[in-house]
Amino acid sequence: MASRTLAVWEHRKVVGLLVRRDLKVKYQQSVLGYAWTMLEPLALTLVYFFVFGLVLQAERGMPEDAPGGYILFLVAGILPWTTFGAILSEAPRAMITHSKLITTMKVPREIFPMATVGTKFVEYVLTWPVLLIFVFALGGRFTWEGMLFWLPLAIVLTFMFGLGVTLFLASVNVLLRDVERLTRILTRLLFYGSAILFPASMVLQADRVPGWAKTLYELNPLMGIFQMHRTVWFSGFEELTPSTLALTSAVVGSILMLIIGYWTFRRLEMSVLKEL
Amino acid sequence: MASTYEAAVADGPVIEAKGLGVKFAVNRRRKRSLREMFIHGNKRDPNAEGNDFWPLRDVSFEIAKGDCVGIVGKNGTGKSTLLKMIAGVLIPDEGKVSVHGKVAPLLELRAGFNDNLTGRENVYLVGSLHGMTEKQIDERFEEIVDFAEVKPKFIDTPVRHYSSGMKVRLGFALISQLEHPIMLVDEVLAVGDKAFKRKCYEAIDRMLANERTMVLVSHNEKDLRRFCNRGLYIRNGALALDTDIDSALAAYNEDTKVEIEERKKKDAAKKKRAEAAAKKVEAEAGPTETGATAVDEPKPEADKTDPGAGGDGKDGGRAA
Repeated sequence: MASRTLAVWEHRKVVGLLVRRDLKVKYQQSVLGYAWTMLEPLALTLVYFFVFGLVLQAERGMPEDAPGGYILFLVAGILPWTTFGAILSEAPRAMITHSKLITTMKVPREIFPMATVGTKFVEYVLTWPVLLIFVFALGGRFTWEGMLFWLPLAIVLTFMFGLGVTLFLASVNVLLRDVERLTRILTRLLFYGSAILFPASMVLQADRVPGWAKTLYELNPLMGIFQMHRTVWFSGFEELTPSTLALTSAVVGSILMLIIGYWTFRRLEMSVLKEL
Repeated sequence: MASTYEAAVADGPVIEAKGLGVKFAVNRRRKRSLREMFIHGNKRDPNAEGNDFWPLRDVSFEIAKGDCVGIVGKNGTGKSTLLKMIAGVLIPDEGKVSVHGKVAPLLELRAGFNDNLTGRENVYLVGSLHGMTEKQIDERFEEIVDFAEVKPKFIDTPVRHYSSGMKVRLGFALISQLEHPIMLVDEVLAVGDKAFKRKCYEAIDRMLANERTMVLVSHNEKDLRRFCNRGLYIRNGALALDTDIDSALAAYNEDTKVEIEERKKKDAAKKKRAEAAAKKVEAEAGPTETGATAVDEPKPEADKTDPGAGGDGKDGGRAA
């Protein structure tokens, strides 16, 4: 285990190379390049604002005096979700696409899922300018609590969870290709299960939702994680801050996901190498 | 030749394989293996008997520094699997293989090339993946491009526009610049046209002269005799012989001959039966069939002996 970690560390440059290659290929092939990274979430935000904000009035779950309002709430949730969704959609293929490299080069196999997540991390960082534009335009508030506590926690947990999921899906999908399809459905489910479009409090305070469903909802680690992404801008508003249960399940869930993912990856490594 | 081998072993082996075995699950069980692995673990598998296929089992050998070992055997006897295990890209189910030193795997030359990147970007990417530093690649870049015979104006074109020959040449040129002490070669010597092939041979000769160790899998006797001083003959997933390359090839050819004889006998029997049946049904089907088989027969004899190549090979072996 320790030697393996060391081997991965020694190959950190290779991870960097793969990340750089992926980004290069991605941005080289399209005319608009980087603009897509911004346009896609922007278009989504617009649609969701219209449907959920204006038509379905999801903004009634927002506190009246929240700086930035519902639009900032949406943007702050959709941008990290776009990244996370991209991780989920690429995770199952993280090993398969590199099968040629994996079967001819002796490197610790973990670096391929790591490179996939690493690429997404860079893309996430690239969405920050968009977010900042919204924050400034809508009068969002910078707070010490948000910047120094919620933001780092949210980012670490997102990518920890993401890496765990990628390790898990990448290895299992080599043996069972159904996983890819299943992941697509799950991604949709998780999108609504993680309260991206409306404050989680709307679900938790709804009378028509049974108690067990609320508990399940709060136990979804992603719900807590994406709440954190928004608490960065809305710290101090209790409706928008993760509850203790949500916070715990986010932290424990992410750590657990990483452990499960890595364990599965190592366990299946032998058969994965044979199947690739 | 045997004496050089024994002398080299005294320095301690570079590659050491002990009781290597690898198993593949046969068709349906593949899917079940996933569940089993979660429940039982991958070491002990209670109902594994019978359904497994062992392409390779109980293979042990040592390879000393400076040796060039040729692996011969029929298709599907696990030669490439063995090479993959030495390269560390396949984990054996049984036994252990330890390799002392960095390995340059020439398992597939185009591996790692991304079609959307240019030749230059690919050389840097794959070179670094193989453990070269940027400075090393900088220094050798000219040489690599020159060796690969890629025209300078194409080096900054995406690789997807290259011909397959260009890609392979670039791959070989890059890997031949690696300074790893161990080289694993899997049937990649048949690269490019005649002129390029000669260059490849020279490059390999140069590498071998540098006290490097090479393991070569090939069906080409000329190549094997030219480079190797030792041969491993693999038959039915087991190591049948571990001697000098000539004896290994001789044993392999002997077995092949026996097999061809057997097949001929079988074919003849089959034909007889078919003819008998045909005669019964209709008389005109017979003559065309015998005409076709007569052409096939002399083929196995043709590649058996090649006097010029044999002489070459012995010289090459001694030089290494």
